Amino acid sequence: MDDRKAAILAEIPRLRRYARALLRDRDAADDLVQDSLERALVRLDNWRTGDSPRRWLFTIMHHLFVDQMRKVKRRGEASMLQIEASEAMSLPAHQAEDVASREILDALQAISPDRRAAILMVAVEGFSYAEAANVLGVPAGTLMSRIARGRDELRGLLDDGARRRTIRVVEP
Amino acid sequence: MTMREFSERDIHLALDSELPQDERAAYERWLETHPDMQAKNRRYEADRDLLRGAVAGVLDEPVPDRLAKIVAGETQPASRNSAPRWRMAAAALIFAAGGLGGYFLGASGWRPVNGTAIQLADGAIAAHAIYAAEKLHVVEVGADQKEHLVGWLSKRIGVTLVAPDLSAEGFELIGGRLLPAAATKTAAQFMYQDRTGNRISLYVARDSSNTETGFRLLEEGDTRALYWLDDGYGCAVAGNLPEEVLLKVANTAYRQLLQGMKG
Repeated sequence: MDDRKAAILAEIPRLRRYARALLRDRDAADDLVQDSLERALVRLDNWRTGDSPRRWLFTIMHHLFVDQMRKVKRRGEASMLQIEASEAMSLPAHQAEDVASREILDALQAISPDRRAAILMVAVEGFSYAEAANVLGVPAGTLMSRIARGRDELRGLLDDGARRRTIRVVEP
Repeated sequence: MTMREFSERDIHLALDSELPQDERAAYERWLETHPDMQAKNRRYEADRDLLRGAVAGVLDEPVPDRLAKIVAGETQPASRNSAPRWRMAAAALIFAAGGLGGYFLGASGWRPVNGTAIQLADGAIAAHAIYAAEKLHVVEVGADQKEHLVGWLSKRIGVTLVAPDLSAEGFELIGGRLLPAAATKTAAQFMYQDRTGNRISLYVARDSSNTETGFRLLEEGDTRALYWLDDGYGCAVAGNLPEEVLLKVANTAYRQLLQGMKG
């Protein structure tokens, strides 16, 4: 395996983490990673070895994610309603999470994809504002406001969840 | 050192390591003198740590074969046999983001709420807040006319009711009233009181959605409602008492309502 492929392979765990947080569902996230890797390999020549493979791969993945979001939006609400949200979002049993993790990941899904991506790129993946803005293809100011608004929204959702927690009580 | 004015914006810059090093000390001092900003900073920091922790485990997972093989060139591109699931998930997420009010945080994510159930619980909490606080007119028909009350409410809401006996839980029936309801037009409220004056109410409405939900809890401020949908009706037990108390009452009420309906 050549160096470039080895470098791509080494990025897979991070790509998976980002996709998982972005989409929540494990298989769906791995599908996004798979699509990204396929596209990356086809365009291997576009990648200059001096560039960080991480930024290059995250950019590819982000484009795929955004394209799909746009298509979904264009298809309109009517068709979206036919998709069983609970089915698409349900978690396989092997994804064991504690309550706090589950709550924050769920809340993250409820904020807009733009804000979600911005928060994840910076707060979880550790990209600088300049790098994240570059990957997401927006000015740094836009990135900043997405992060600020996203965090505020996330906080509100978590508070709301704590206040209006709807639980299923097991009969004693 | 220049003392520039800091703002909430700087909280994000600092959290994301974007605040210039030479402004750091002044920023820390600013935080100390602005408790509201300090609180916000701590909260954002805690949320960030929580988020990092929630997905940290992914890095330790072995890379799935199907992904490694693509990079190794052992798999032909687009060999996956099903439509990409992530597109489905993306669609569902937009849907979810569109109407937060209609979702509840379930065991495995934001699930669509049964509209009837949540309206029922909301109605029960609102009605409890109004009438449980009432001194003179807490009920429309008193417990002294129990038979009339139960017959009348059964007829008006279209469900064969009983006014459950909650004496084992320490509650006595005061009476009840007929209420307008959002989804079902009418609802019945039975009001109970314990020896120390704590009141709980039972809110029952007809439900034609044929769903059984199990017990759920909705909290709004200090008032909570344990509610469920069952065969043809929905019921909520509302009060300002602890969840355990409401659960006991709900269990008893559930059994007696069911018995009453079967005649």
